[in-house]
Amino acid sequence: MNVLQSREGPPANPNYDHRYDAIVVGAGLAGSAAAITMARDGLDVLLIERGSYPGAKNVFGGVMYTPTIRELVDIDSAPTERYVAERRYSMLTEEDEIAASVSIGDWHEPPHNDSFTVIRGDFDEWFAEQAVEEGATLITETTVTDLIREDGRIVGVETDRPDGAVRAPVVVLAEGGNSLVSESAGLKETDHREHIAVAVKEVLEFPGDSRKIIEDRFRLVDDDGAAYHYFGKGAVGDAFGGAFLYTNDDTISVGLAYRIEDAVTEKISPQDRLDEFKSHPAVAPIFRDARTVEYGAKTIPEGGASAMPELVHDGALLVGDTAGLVLNNGVHLEGTNMAVESGFHAGKAVVKAFGSKATPRPADAATAGTESAGQVRADGGVSNTTRPSVTVRASDLQSYPDSLEQSFVVENLEHYEWLINRVVEDKQLLFEDLPEALADAAAEYFTIDRQPKQTHGRLAKERIMHTVGGLRGAIKLGWRYRKMIR
Amino acid sequence: MSTTPSETIENASLEDRLYTVKYQDPGESHLDVTVPGICASKCKPGEAECVTVCPADVWRQSEDGTPVIAYENCLECGSCRYACSQNNVEWSYPERGAGVTYKKG
Repeated sequence: MNVLQSREGPPANPNYDHRYDAIVVGAGLAGSAAAITMARDGLDVLLIERGSYPGAKNVFGGVMYTPTIRELVDIDSAPTERYVAERRYSMLTEEDEIAASVSIGDWHEPPHNDSFTVIRGDFDEWFAEQAVEEGATLITETTVTDLIREDGRIVGVETDRPDGAVRAPVVVLAEGGNSLVSESAGLKETDHREHIAVAVKEVLEFPGDSRKIIEDRFRLVDDDGAAYHYFGKGAVGDAFGGAFLYTNDDTISVGLAYRIEDAVTEKISPQDRLDEFKSHPAVAPIFRDARTVEYGAKTIPEGGASAMPELVHDGALLVGDTAGLVLNNGVHLEGTNMAVESGFHAGKAVVKAFGSKATPRPADAATAGTESAGQVRADGGVSNTTRPSVTVRASDLQSYPDSLEQSFVVENLEHYEWLINRVVEDKQLLFEDLPEALADAAAEYFTIDRQPKQTHGRLAKERIMHTVGGLRGAIKLGWRYRKMIR
Repeated sequence: MSTTPSETIENASLEDRLYTVKYQDPGESHLDVTVPGICASKCKPGEAECVTVCPADVWRQSEDGTPVIAYENCLECGSCRYACSQNNVEWSYPERGAGVTYKKG
């Protein structure tokens, strides 16, 4: 049953104030993961989404990594598009391409390396439904405008609902990267534009049998999918970032992301850059006859471990993009799995905090249901019983940052922090000079003429060595990036 | 190297792209500038950071330098907020489900 479709009943004006143990701001991946975790362990959860449905405000590149989701819910019922059967990494100069492709036989078998292309409008709605089925109440078209503080503690949220304030002992902030509420409430600083990427994406379809055209162009069978990543000047010009191309069921997602700092200093307009990338000779034929189905944009927090805000406060926790949990080390571009993982650990910490408070629970707990603003399900509704007030301090929630620290989320962010910094320093060499040298060297190496192969081999090697600064330079470069293979 | 055969891509115009996104007008702008005078004094024509970064042509500069905000184009990415070195962008979420609604995000 799609519980989100089952809105009925007379408009009502239910009062949510003091009726819930926890409020989750934002029904994206982190928010719903937190809601599922808390509701499953018996807490009464109010999940608030500002869009008309969960996913309505969400944009991402296109590949969802699902190890944590698999632990939380039945992934087989998830609306995935294709599993990733081929990963391709490509360096583009203005005219040339040097690429490596990886297709692993095992990826064709479940669980498909937990990598699927998805459409967030479908996926996030499904994921929020899982929270509702666990007993959470979801309200959509409701914007949290501010947090309520009493004695320094966060005790609830202000909303645009007629009844306005909703108080609960815990607020989980899962409002995404553009985290207005968390920032205005002083729970985090506004990130510097060096730490934020701007991303644009187009979903394209082909006239006629779009699915078959995609399968032919990407050499796909059944539910196979492709994930292509592009770097270098041909992808994002003089910016630090990359472009991507993913296959959905019968559409493709193409886009790019790069630092806002570069956008403004190099004067690179995202939509113009997208047009230029799509016109690169290495990719342009893929888009032949394609039609834009949807265009979207988002900002991505890429500041890494050192840009993470305080994760817990008196009465509040920060999760997902709001907590800056995105990994971009060039090869790995991950955020959704970290969002789910953080939501899970945050939810567990809230459960633990309530356990230690040993609050007597009212018998008529709030009934699960889904409501849009001003609407309530006929069989749904909210408890009339006001909760006894509970105080949850940051120290009660400390198991969240502790367990996140132990998880792959912070491990990865910390491990790759050095890499991002180096790569930014070496941007000119890595994304412009070296790709050009490699393309020239490859052209030299593969030249067919009447000279001996050895001559071309020597010239190719010289071309690369010249760019990296000779043998000394090559050793230095290798040393700078030695930790990559650790 | 100028003989590379190139597919000519017919990209949708920005206007056409923006038409693909469902939009509900909240009735008033969710975007503003904190101090209008700052824009005119700090950002020369063609230099405004918000204008450069915006993927939806929301921000434009009028001749006297003050910004014109086509808020109904907004994709709600938030990049203008970070781009502005004067910290002069006022941003609030459109309320009651208004603004963009993505289906394929």
